[in-house]
Amino acid sequence: MKTPVIIDTDPGIDDAVAIFLAFSQEKILDVRGITTIAGNVNVDRTTRNALDLVGHIGKNAKIAKGAPKPLLRSLKTAEEVHGKTGLGPVVLKESKLKFYEKKAWDLIHEEAEAWDGELEIIALGPLTNIAITLIKYPDIKKKIKKVTLMGGACFLGNVTPSAEFNIYVDPEAADIVFQSGIPITMVGLDATHQALLYEEDIENLTSRKNVISETLKIILKENLAFQKKVAGLEAAIMHDAVAVAAVIDPTIIQKKHYYVAVEKEGFFTYGKTVVDLNKVTKNSPNVEVALGVDRLRFIDMLKEMMKTYELL
Amino acid sequence: MKKPVIMDCDPGHDDAIALLLAFASDKLEVKAVTIVAGNQTQEKTLNNALRVLSFANIEAPVARGAEKPLMRELITAPEVHGDSGLDGPELPEATLKPVDLSAIELIAKVVRESDERITLIPTGALTNIAKFILCYPELKNKIERISLMGGACVGGNWSPAAEFNILVDPEAADIVFKSGIPITMCGLDVTHRALIYEEDIERIRSVGGKVAVMVAELLEFFAKFHMDTGFEGSPLHDPCAVAWVIDPTIINTKKLHVDIETTGIHTLGATVVDYHDVLKKEKNAEVAFDIDREKFVDMLVEAMKFYQ
Repeated sequence: MKTPVIIDTDPGIDDAVAIFLAFSQEKILDVRGITTIAGNVNVDRTTRNALDLVGHIGKNAKIAKGAPKPLLRSLKTAEEVHGKTGLGPVVLKESKLKFYEKKAWDLIHEEAEAWDGELEIIALGPLTNIAITLIKYPDIKKKIKKVTLMGGACFLGNVTPSAEFNIYVDPEAADIVFQSGIPITMVGLDATHQALLYEEDIENLTSRKNVISETLKIILKENLAFQKKVAGLEAAIMHDAVAVAAVIDPTIIQKKHYYVAVEKEGFFTYGKTVVDLNKVTKNSPNVEVALGVDRLRFIDMLKEMMKTYELL
Repeated sequence: MKKPVIMDCDPGHDDAIALLLAFASDKLEVKAVTIVAGNQTQEKTLNNALRVLSFANIEAPVARGAEKPLMRELITAPEVHGDSGLDGPELPEATLKPVDLSAIELIAKVVRESDERITLIPTGALTNIAKFILCYPELKNKIERISLMGGACVGGNWSPAAEFNILVDPEAADIVFKSGIPITMCGLDVTHRALIYEEDIERIRSVGGKVAVMVAELLEFFAKFHMDTGFEGSPLHDPCAVAWVIDPTIINTKKLHVDIETTGIHTLGATVVDYHDVLKKEKNAEVAFDIDREKFVDMLVEAMKFYQ
């Protein structure tokens, strides 16, 4: 059976690749909807981008707009990574798709009810929409099979020494989700920083033309240049695509169950996912933490994606 | 020429071994021992230090230090060190007496009277060191370096994010890390690699003499707690901070910026190490990440021969 999923996203260049990847595996994933969230850029932009990305590959899905800002805090965006539009130098044709009349949390609720416990969520941005869903529909917990999220880090952060961007933007929302009791797989920087795409990988992936090859090439090259500049890294990192890959084939990530708390108050550490690595709290594990990823199999999955789009 | 050092500690099994390692080294001249509350109360850690030094026939000025952290209530660690703070070996009452000065007065006196700059080696909470920095700012420049056991770049041992010594007195740690004095931080990243196995304990015991036997007994007691918590050996935390001063080549460090978290719910007492330099702040600590374990054990065995 295909897994019905909702992708909660803030496109975002790596979100774009994640969306392409999700729609390339229609035998495995049934993308029931896309909910948009403010994060990498504001929610009007991320919604526009979601519509255009889905339109660009000729697909359709219910695309519902979500929260314009974090639960309690003011919004922080990441235009230095994703550009003003959120898609860096990529310019897409404005698609004719319309966004769904319901709000993000109402769409999640509608699908969760319809699938009666089978729906999974892939969360690629700050967890604001998921938290609002849990606040509005507390009973929905039992109807969501799993949340696989890109966010957090067991070891080191990216936006501060301790915190990863998605959790840092809305730590209160992350706390609600982590404490919800819904099974969570956290695909954080520990794993995504292993899914490195070197220049030759980029060339290999984008050498044959298809509907996404140009866009993908621009995104990966731009990110490669960015990583080189800020981290001295000779590779592009597509964080969000790794989370989608982990839902398509959970065996590509190495993972371990831990108790994870979200720090909301630390002066230097707010937004940190505090992973109880040494099991000092005795709290039962609430999160499956991805500690590594099989880079070559991840690239294989991207290659397969490129083949799928050649047929379009 | 010997490096003049002051040991600031809360014995504590690994503190006791750190003391014995320092006094045995021909590279160090231990000018004073100051005591802090942490692993146990000041009363107990002071008594433990005096008993260990008396037992090993060491004469040195020992001073009573802080009873509690700067701003918080004291946390102790009886689950690791027992009710006395040094459970295991039977030690006779101390013959050595503490000096009439407080810890910070003794540190100030030693520092003032020394022609050379002094290295401080704190292996407990940083309360005494912070007080010294606050009370004698004019002497800061006469401190060569602080080589401390505390913190962690990754994880913690008393909370998921914090190591015990820093968690006990995070405000003191904050003062020390912001002081501008060069710091070497031997945290859990390195001390969890400084593991002592059963065969190492036997090697130490077989050196012979009452001190080696006592150290073996300390290590046996220390091992019990760590075996129960899933370690294959005991991480011998505090001697790492001494070992780095004796021979820095056996420990790998990286110069990084470190902040101390003094407000987190889950992260209080974390040493926030900016490993990827995202903050672009001044690098204030040499953070230790790895140790040549074999050479470290050899160093301990050699030290025991001094007491034969």
